[in-house]
Amino acid sequence: MKSKDFALDKKNKPSNIILTIIFSVVSVIYVLPVLVVLMNSFKFNEFVNSTTFELPNAISFAGFNNYIKGMTFGNYPFFNSVFYSFTITILSTILILLCTSMCAWYLSRVNNFICKVVYYLCVFSMVVPFQMVMFTLSKTADTLKLNTPYTIPIIYLGFGAGLAVFMFSGFVKSMPLSVEEAASIDGCGPIRTFFQVVLPIMRPTIISVGILEIMWIWNDYLLPYLVLDRKLYMTIPIHIQYLQGSYGAVDLGATMALIVLSVIPIIIFYAVCQKHIIKGVMAGAVKG
Amino acid sequence: MRRILSLILAVMLVALCFASCGSTDSNAEAGSVFYLNFKPEQDEQWQALAKKYQEATGIKTTVVTAAEGTYESTLTAEMDKSDPPTLFQVNGPVGLANWQDYCYDLSKSDVYKELKSDDFALKGANGEVYGVAYVIETYGIIYNKTILQKYFDAEWSTIKSIDKLNNFDALSTVVSEIQAHKSDLGVDGAFTSAGMDSSSDWRFKTHLANMAIYYEYLADGIGKTDAIKGTYLENYKKIWDLYINYATCKPTDLASKTGTDAETEFKSGKAVFYQNGTWAYGSAAYDEATGLGLKDDEFGMLPIYMGVEGEENLGLCTGSENYWCVNAKADEADIKATLDFLKWVVTDDAGTSALANDMGFVIPFKNAKEASNPLVKIANDYVTAGKTSVSWNFPTIPSEDWKNGVGAALTQYAAGTGSWDDVKLAFVDGWAREYKKANG
Amino acid sequence: MKDRKRIKRLNPLRAYFPIFVLPTLAAFIIGFLYPFIRGIYLSFCTFRTTSDAKWVGLDNYIKAFNDEGFFHAFWYTALFTLVSVIVINVFAFMVAYVLTRGIRGSNTFRTVFFMPNLIGGIVLGYIWQMIFDGILRNYGTSIVLDSRFGFWGLIILMAWQQIGYMMIIYIAGLQSVPEELNEAAKIDGANGWQVLKHITIPTVMPSITICTFLTLTNSFKLFDQNLALTNGAPIAFTAEGAIKQTEMIALNIYNTFYTNANWRGVGQAKAVLFFILVAAIALIQLRFTRKREVQQ
Repeated sequence: MKSKDFALDKKNKPSNIILTIIFSVVSVIYVLPVLVVLMNSFKFNEFVNSTTFELPNAISFAGFNNYIKGMTFGNYPFFNSVFYSFTITILSTILILLCTSMCAWYLSRVNNFICKVVYYLCVFSMVVPFQMVMFTLSKTADTLKLNTPYTIPIIYLGFGAGLAVFMFSGFVKSMPLSVEEAASIDGCGPIRTFFQVVLPIMRPTIISVGILEIMWIWNDYLLPYLVLDRKLYMTIPIHIQYLQGSYGAVDLGATMALIVLSVIPIIIFYAVCQKHIIKGVMAGAVKG
Repeated sequence: MRRILSLILAVMLVALCFASCGSTDSNAEAGSVFYLNFKPEQDEQWQALAKKYQEATGIKTTVVTAAEGTYESTLTAEMDKSDPPTLFQVNGPVGLANWQDYCYDLSKSDVYKELKSDDFALKGANGEVYGVAYVIETYGIIYNKTILQKYFDAEWSTIKSIDKLNNFDALSTVVSEIQAHKSDLGVDGAFTSAGMDSSSDWRFKTHLANMAIYYEYLADGIGKTDAIKGTYLENYKKIWDLYINYATCKPTDLASKTGTDAETEFKSGKAVFYQNGTWAYGSAAYDEATGLGLKDDEFGMLPIYMGVEGEENLGLCTGSENYWCVNAKADEADIKATLDFLKWVVTDDAGTSALANDMGFVIPFKNAKEASNPLVKIANDYVTAGKTSVSWNFPTIPSEDWKNGVGAALTQYAAGTGSWDDVKLAFVDGWAREYKKANG
Repeated sequence: MKDRKRIKRLNPLRAYFPIFVLPTLAAFIIGFLYPFIRGIYLSFCTFRTTSDAKWVGLDNYIKAFNDEGFFHAFWYTALFTLVSVIVINVFAFMVAYVLTRGIRGSNTFRTVFFMPNLIGGIVLGYIWQMIFDGILRNYGTSIVLDSRFGFWGLIILMAWQQIGYMMIIYIAGLQSVPEELNEAAKIDGANGWQVLKHITIPTVMPSITICTFLTLTNSFKLFDQNLALTNGAPIAFTAEGAIKQTEMIALNIYNTFYTNANWRGVGQAKAVLFFILVAAIALIQLRFTRKREVQQ
């Protein structure tokens, strides 16, 4: 009771009320860019540049025209891009979480020479800029037929392994051995030990790694652009970039509409998993 | 947990299955066609044509179009793949130098034999035919006849007919008078905005620059150079000043204006002059749905006057930067399929009418259909009238970076943050530097 | 030593290498190691596609070192990184500090500030280009016309995107400061500033290290936002060359790769140099972290 009073008291301190007001204003400014995009997605193309900060009026209001245009632009349906973006993000994230958590556990527990080499290679890969491998990676991926949304997760696993292994290893090192020992004394083999004992303990790290991977893969532009077989597949960022670049025709209205459509899933994801996301980032930071 | 594991394993198996099956769907014996198209504005028409061909012959035919400004990088990436384009494009000699190793010798092919003249072939040192031009295009200053007529009829106008509008001084007079009386004519300016966004800047850093390059080549009697002198830069400046100062917007706004902005201004009658080419007809023509656009007889086109001696006899700029090349490193069967496809496109009725009507192209092949595009007719009229056509020399520009440099310098000059000296540096010094970079 | 023995008891695990490590390792070799090594090899070659590479020795590196644009990009990136690291961390820390004092609406603010992180770089670039140009148009200019606008525009963009993320990490750090310690200090008569300096900042030191590292590498490797916002404009012209004023290293490499077919090898050589630079920075950072860990 006492502590609650104390907290209330703290909240009502004049300086804190002023801070609340200041932060409210800043928050509004913070979301403005997104609102401006939303607003402009309902304007005809020619008004986006000339009246960027005005609400659509009777002349400039385009209704859902931009959305319809954006979705049917060219001859590649926007829904396909959405579908492939989802497929790639989900498959890759699952694959990365599963494989790297297993790998990291093995590496930290066995920890022999080979494990150390693999571990340090993973850490090393984290500092390598994508430009270093972009050219050769697309060739390799193509030769091995890793250029479809169903196989590109293997590329993501390879290129994203570094950070994931690093984060999982950091966590495994802080895990007490006793639980695993108990399991092995009970006659559990390594696979059962991993899935029944280790994996549940790893939950917070799995969430934080998962979130980092989802944010990365969903928004990634250059890697799928260079790797995917573009005769058949596009993702949302590629689609938006494509809309930007037709000979003599940039449809800003339609681009804004597609930006809105591409941001919606991520906002929903954020709204639903907000707690996990913030906790995940916190946990990731403390462990990493 | 076990359920999750088995689910994941199943997913992976499916994925692997896709991976191994993915490549077996094409009919290896009959070959297939994969065209990497350069012109995004004709993407839909090419897709339709490819579909038609595939339905007619059963040969798998794919068309992929690179986004504006990314053709070279897309081509590089695609060529490196196990299933590379069988048909691609180069822009002329400079492009050919980059891709010559990949160009199949077309000298015995039907598509080459169908060419009206050898002028449209891109030849190697020993007479090999590496590319054939498939579209001849023309650009100049497109104008809105109806509004310009209003100007001629106005009592305050100095120039009274289109025949008198035949040099830079006349153009300059017309433009400044229109600008001064813009409300009388119901326009926002004489010229459409010369947008320097990447969707529009090629009209000035490439097509307009071509004028200065053309005159210099002509004066020096050359067809290409490793160091341009910039003899006609002053003329380039004259016309550019006209474009930016007598337009629908302030020169400082040009940096972010797009191609669509200019197109909309022209379509809605807010400007009289619009520098563009025959390809722009489709998007500027009258559209019932929006009620915007010009009727066929409202289109006119002027040569780009820039104050050079004797320009009363100048014609429009006609040429090609679109050459078909067949990938020499593709499979035998694919090469054959591609050659068959090309033959079909330039001889079959479906192909030639798609090129002429749907795409609005003038094609240099024997079976060509006449395009319904009024801008093409205007271009032909200039030739019939004996005017001197300006050739397309911009394929000899040493690199993309040269164009980008000139474009940026023009933008900065227009905005007042840079001077004309920057354009000179980008044009002259930039040429020599980029030439050296590109050739060793 | 003791741990070693205990791990030995889990010995059967050793035999499970193919199940636990091999999938990741195989993908890692395909997706990283092989392209990386091949990339180093190609930096010594001229090539148009990877299949027609010809060995030219150090030629590409000499060209890269003589490229003024590359040097400008390096210094520009360094300056940008310095400013963005300071701006982002100072603001993120301030926000986190205020939000952990229990003001009304803390959770809402936290949610709002974190949101921009979820939007991808290309999209962010387009959004902000529209906004900056919308404002600058009133003053008859544009973000692509003045390198100062480009510089501060990118700083604002990055701050908008990253402050939220760093804030979360600082909040985590600040919450680990024991409340009793603060109370004890206050009873001893320490003022707010002294508490901040002697108690709060030392305890959140690990968070500061992490955030500095993350902002440092993010800024250094920045590509998407740079490409979409200004793509290097404006260009400064001199007799020696045309230098893109707001082009950062990653973009310079990308442009070298794709605008001149003969310079692809040079682009790859620049990429190798870039990698060495990033690795060196990371290594120095790691050193610092290690030292501090030993002291603790």
